[in-house]
Amino acid sequence: MTSFALLFTLSSIGISETVYLIQKRIASEKPVCPIGDNCEIVLESKYNKIFIIPNDVLGLLTYIVISFIAAFLVIEIEPIFLWIFIIKILIGIASVISLFFTYLQWRVIRAWCFWCLMSAFTIWLMAITILMSGTI
Amino acid sequence: MKKTSFHILRVGLAITFLWIGVLIFKQPEAWGGYLMPWAAGLLPVPIEQAMMGTAVLDVIIGALLLYDFFVWFAALVGVIHLIIVLAVSGITDITVRDIGILAAAIALMADSLPENFINKIRHKIFRRSS
Repeated sequence: MTSFALLFTLSSIGISETVYLIQKRIASEKPVCPIGDNCEIVLESKYNKIFIIPNDVLGLLTYIVISFIAAFLVIEIEPIFLWIFIIKILIGIASVISLFFTYLQWRVIRAWCFWCLMSAFTIWLMAITILMSGTI
Repeated sequence: MKKTSFHILRVGLAITFLWIGVLIFKQPEAWGGYLMPWAAGLLPVPIEQAMMGTAVLDVIIGALLLYDFFVWFAALVGVIHLIIVLAVSGITDITVRDIGILAAAIALMADSLPENFINKIRHKIFRRSS
């Protein structure tokens, strides 16, 4: 239950981050960068999309699916094993993609984006929650 | 209110409403136990259905706050909802938490009410007093 609560809370934080970035992108405004001032270099780089889908939209969809699955697991909606399998796969893939994007910021773009790093840490915290949890 | 503090409060309150909604969905009968007998007697539907309705309302309020969509409306409904919760559940060990959430919802509502809505209310009060 505690791990589901953590996953739900982290996915909600992720939703709020990505919604903020999508709003700013649609309004063509620069997002606030609490640490550093290179957010737009990263957000406007050629790596801001996977195929034709912007990364913020992909992130939002991922967080929404994770929050729904965490809620289903709390309410105990069947089939539990399938939800656990999907959430593990999803967070695993998202962790690897976040690792790749962090590498891109560090070595290729050579600029750091606060919101991208926060999203990566949110996903990694979810992965740690799953790894340390005995129930999932 | 400063922009950053407003958003921290908005997201925090959103998670609270969403999580309470999910917990009520899990055990609606248990949450119905918080209702005072006089309030439970007033319900036109079984207590379980009433609590399911409350859970749906909590999730909608939480989702609107989280997606930064009609925040003032979600906060206003949240304030009314919490006042009703405080009235029908009486004074218990967790009342203090509801008061804290109510204060947070009022702060969010006060800071996000649209200017024309405030002007309309001001206009109505002014017309009544004159």
